[in-house]
Amino acid sequence: MLLALSGYCGRLEMQEQEKVLVVDHRKCTGCRLCELVCSVFHTGSSNPSRSRVKVVKWEDVGFYLPMACNHCEQAYCVEVCPTKACHREPENNNRVTIDKKLCIGCRTCIIACPFGHPFFDIQERITVKCDYCDGDPQCVRFCDVKAISFTDVDKTNMAKKREAFLKYAESMKQVR
Amino acid sequence: MRTGPVHPIRNVRYLRPQKEWKEIIAIYLYLAGMGAGSFVIGILIHWGTLIPWAGIKLDPSFLPSIDLFGYALNLSGVPILWGPIMVAIGAPFLILDLGIKWRFIYACLNPRTSWVARGFIILSIFIILGLGLLAKSLLPFKWLHAESVLWRIPEIIAFAFAFGTAIYTGILLKATRSIPLWNTNLLPLLFLVSALSTGSMAIILSTLGTGLFSHDTEALRVLMRGEQMLVVIEGIVLYLFLSRRYRAAEQGKDSVRLLLFGEMKLMFWGGIVLLGFVFPVILENITSFFPGNAALIFAAGILLLCGGFFLRLGVLHAGIKDQIPMHRLMEIQYNVMAEKTKALAGERLKNPN
Repeated sequence: MLLALSGYCGRLEMQEQEKVLVVDHRKCTGCRLCELVCSVFHTGSSNPSRSRVKVVKWEDVGFYLPMACNHCEQAYCVEVCPTKACHREPENNNRVTIDKKLCIGCRTCIIACPFGHPFFDIQERITVKCDYCDGDPQCVRFCDVKAISFTDVDKTNMAKKREAFLKYAESMKQVR
Repeated sequence: MRTGPVHPIRNVRYLRPQKEWKEIIAIYLYLAGMGAGSFVIGILIHWGTLIPWAGIKLDPSFLPSIDLFGYALNLSGVPILWGPIMVAIGAPFLILDLGIKWRFIYACLNPRTSWVARGFIILSIFIILGLGLLAKSLLPFKWLHAESVLWRIPEIIAFAFAFGTAIYTGILLKATRSIPLWNTNLLPLLFLVSALSTGSMAIILSTLGTGLFSHDTEALRVLMRGEQMLVVIEGIVLYLFLSRRYRAAEQGKDSVRLLLFGEMKLMFWGGIVLLGFVFPVILENITSFFPGNAALIFAAGILLLCGGFFLRLGVLHAGIKDQIPMHRLMEIQYNVMAEKTKALAGERLKNPN
């Protein structure tokens, strides 16, 4: 009984610890400070092209979207990685991360990711991706307008949002 | 005909096929496919020579033997069993494309889910077995050439792995899933048929100069007829592949349009259709009126082999990724905004004041 209770508490604790990056595109101004701090944290150089987060811009409609890894439930990058360099770490926010020592730079994960997230680092010659900065995402810390937040999974209601968005997209398709 | 400006977001999408796998991977896919295909055909010829009623005869007397360290190497098997050499030359191209090349040996660590890892294992086994069989046909030791049923076992295994290598080149692309053009079972089938057609043509070319078939034109004719049939089947599979992908998804449609009418139309119509299908078929039909004309067969063969390479290059370059949900939202927002702008402009025209 005690064991079962401790197991249950453990699971609760894990659920509480599990956090994800949430982006509010309406707040983003496209300043790309997140790219800069990300590259400084991971590479030591202020070079946005080596950042793990990329701001996608649609200047025509004034829309900016910081794109970071979604750490997908069914991660294609993990499936296609030939060396197991790309793997999931349940103990660290269930993140999907790349082991630098195992990555061979084949870029299969980049092709497989539907969100185009993992990036090829030209200097290190391997693929890199968001790893939540080991629990303290710098993009969240430095975003002045709070467009990116690091939130508990439970609070994001991602499933409901997704469902609402899909309904919205479907209705717009019918209107068109 | 519609003359209005092209939707900017959609227009940008046309120009963004994947840029990760380029010519080096195309060379790898081509050499692996062609080498494996030629080995499959070569082994079939080799087995055919063992069966009297198959009517396939080889005359190795035309081939010279080479003296190496006092041993006379028997070259009779080389023109039909050289496929593994091509695969062995092609495999380093995959290594060349890696970010950190010396780590290529790690590429076999995840065969459970990764097709790159599975391919590494399939190709390695095929290269080792294939080169072993080629060496067996070369070496002069009598005990190696004793026709025993036991020798069929490694041949059958090598045949299976050659077949696996030919089909794997297509599965590798299919397994990435995010690119609708590649995400179909027809792609491995297309690459398999292309591997067999280029492989059989490569066998015909390699036997041309040797005179291996020259005394027995019937065998060459059967091989040519089989090769022509493979080209026709390849054409049908290519048509099915493109038409199915055109209807599969928006990005599949974009990929096909990019190939047929976009930036890559020259490669498709010139490189794949003309070089790979039309010219070889015409030249081979002309050859039937001039039996034994090696120049015509040679020209047809070279064109067909070029076409096989362009097929892989074209399929690789035309791969456009699936649309992310946010991109779709952008299109919707863009359309809404464009409608509003149009309405505002209309109101201004009606009420200039």
